[in-house]
Amino acid sequence: MMAAGASHNDLDRFGIIFRASPRQSDVLVVAGTVTKKMAPVVRRVYDQMPEPRYVIAMGSCACSGGIFRTYSTVQGCDEFLPVDVYVPGCPPRPEALMEGLIKLQQKIRSEHARWGSFR
Amino acid sequence: MAQALEIVPKQIDSDQWDEPYYVNMGPQHPATHGVLRIFLELDGETIVRCDPRIGYLHRGVEKLSENLTYSQAMVLTDRLDYIASAANNVGYCLAVEELMGLEVPRRAQIIRVIVCEMARIASHLLWLATHALDIGAMTVFLYCFRDREWLLDIFEEICGARLTVSYPRIGGVRLDFNQHIIDELYRFTEEFPRRIPEYETLIDVNRIWLKRTKGVGVISGEEAVNLGLTGPSLRGSGVRYDLRRSRPYLIYDELDFEVAVEYEGDVYSRYRVRMKEMREANKIIRQCLDKLAECEGEPTVAENAPDLLIPFGKPKRPQPAPHPKKGFLVKSVEVPIVPEGEVYFAIEAPKGELGYYIVSDGSGHPWRVRIRAPSFVHISALPALSEGQMVADIIAVIGSVDIVLGECDR
Amino acid sequence: MLALEKLQEKFPEEIIETGESAGQTYVVVKREKIFDILKFLHESGELLFDHLADLTAVDWHKKKTPRFEVVYNLYSIRYKQFLRIKAQVPEEDPIITSVTPIWKVANWFEREVYDMFGIVFDGHPDLRRLLMPEDWEGFPLRKDYPLFLSPEKEWQGLVELKEKARRLAPFDWYQRVPGEVKEEEMKEPEEEKVAEGEGHGASA
Repeated sequence: MMAAGASHNDLDRFGIIFRASPRQSDVLVVAGTVTKKMAPVVRRVYDQMPEPRYVIAMGSCACSGGIFRTYSTVQGCDEFLPVDVYVPGCPPRPEALMEGLIKLQQKIRSEHARWGSFR
Repeated sequence: MAQALEIVPKQIDSDQWDEPYYVNMGPQHPATHGVLRIFLELDGETIVRCDPRIGYLHRGVEKLSENLTYSQAMVLTDRLDYIASAANNVGYCLAVEELMGLEVPRRAQIIRVIVCEMARIASHLLWLATHALDIGAMTVFLYCFRDREWLLDIFEEICGARLTVSYPRIGGVRLDFNQHIIDELYRFTEEFPRRIPEYETLIDVNRIWLKRTKGVGVISGEEAVNLGLTGPSLRGSGVRYDLRRSRPYLIYDELDFEVAVEYEGDVYSRYRVRMKEMREANKIIRQCLDKLAECEGEPTVAENAPDLLIPFGKPKRPQPAPHPKKGFLVKSVEVPIVPEGEVYFAIEAPKGELGYYIVSDGSGHPWRVRIRAPSFVHISALPALSEGQMVADIIAVIGSVDIVLGECDR
Repeated sequence: MLALEKLQEKFPEEIIETGESAGQTYVVVKREKIFDILKFLHESGELLFDHLADLTAVDWHKKKTPRFEVVYNLYSIRYKQFLRIKAQVPEEDPIITSVTPIWKVANWFEREVYDMFGIVFDGHPDLRRLLMPEDWEGFPLRKDYPLFLSPEKEWQGLVELKEKARRLAPFDWYQRVPGEVKEEEMKEPEEEKVAEGEGHGASA
């Protein structure tokens, strides 16, 4: 994700900026393994986001638990969060993350009578 | 008959504030490198007590590796320090080979050294990028990623993966280098020493950088050893302890490089130690490339490596479909290759001393794999480094001890 | 080895076994005087073991009694010597003295051993769980602890979290319940048996 935000593959040209606070953001990117200790925290961050809000699950561990099928890993962050886009890979390439973000942009554009073109 | 109400305020004067003020730098924070939670007790701006809490990325790697074979557990070690994953793999393979008594061919050793030092440069570049970003220098982030992308492209050409390379194998390495990789590496080693001054001119004599890093997070030599610091964090305090020189492994005793030591013990000296280490790593890669040219055509895997011993059979037909939640349920064949015993093997990872303590009971999977991660110890040393400093300094201190939560929590 | 001889002449009755494995010497001792042994090794003149590389435990469930072994990996920076000390801890009474006064790094190592194995360290300033959540039950790295918890034995915090997610789902913009997937998102006719899985969600 950091490499996607740096200069080689630039996310800024798609209009995507990283913000420090959930209260000012639209998209939550869950990157990396979600453990049971961390899950309430992620849910809390999601609850703090104002609508419209979307969630991208980045990486195999966030999509489905990945290779860690153990006592302390949540098998996918969709057990407690509603996810819009899944970006698999371990770790996903920056280009894959960009494709996920572009797919999210297309999904938002095609939303009927919400934030789509019929505003 | 209204009586005059007596309002007695609890705090009369702000100078006499008696209660401590608690701040929680929560697990979701842009400046803690990963999911680290620090519980601070403040008196004004000064930190009275600092209590780091970890465990938000604990994936149970040690327990999981007890159920996997040795070769499978190597893939898990990738994900510990996911920034310089080649170093973790090399450490694990060396530990298992030490326990087995396996002799690795020379060409494989040289390739492992090259890959380890590339990982060191990549890790230090990312360290500099995030450390400078936390302190406020944002341009350094972009500059460092430019070179890191070059290194990751070379990694991708070597083994197919940019970040979590599972390139070394128990007994050697996966594939040999081809000529294009060697040419790329020669080009890198020539160009990289010209890039390091570019970073240094940005921050080295900058007044803001010096004010924020000099005299912050000072620790003396014996205190650092007692706290368990290793690697660049220890060498910034004057103790010349480098595992590549004290307990040499692979071919480090034949190579000519200097150990970087500074004597102040603050954040600035750790920064200088890592910049010097980047230059030395570049020198090491250069020497190894020359040595590689001398042993052309040698094998890169030992003859009795365990991966070659796994019986190769035809898969059963029809293939069982994967369970939607559990995935594939085919177990790998266990080859009992490692005799009974135990070993503690430590390498000089970019972050510090990364040690593997492997206990084997003679069967195909290990009895206990313990990973001594440098970040675990460095986070435990945070209270000693930061008590008495201001809140803003703790960000600089966390950056300077270079932690990665993946290996801390395992 | 110098350290081994000095140890044998000073504490002869504590040592149960010495040996060598993969070129590294180890000493198995009883746990009663472990603090004095380690203090001696830390401070005595010719063996300055100042670097505690690792402090961990091994669970020999059903293979050996006593069940646990606390392992101290020591290294001397000046004399370049390596030594491993193993203290045996039985299962019924898993208490051993803490070495935090000697090495400050042992603080977190011992907390982690307590968290993972349940061995209590006597004299530790602040013994609480480190890696697992505070109200976790059980000690994960013991051999009789399962690798993957079945849903009945799930941690209460996660159960409550899923309840909360289900409760807040009607207020969500798309009204998706986490853990459920709508029928029209499940249409992939070629692949059979991707089944009523959870969250194989569609992206547009």
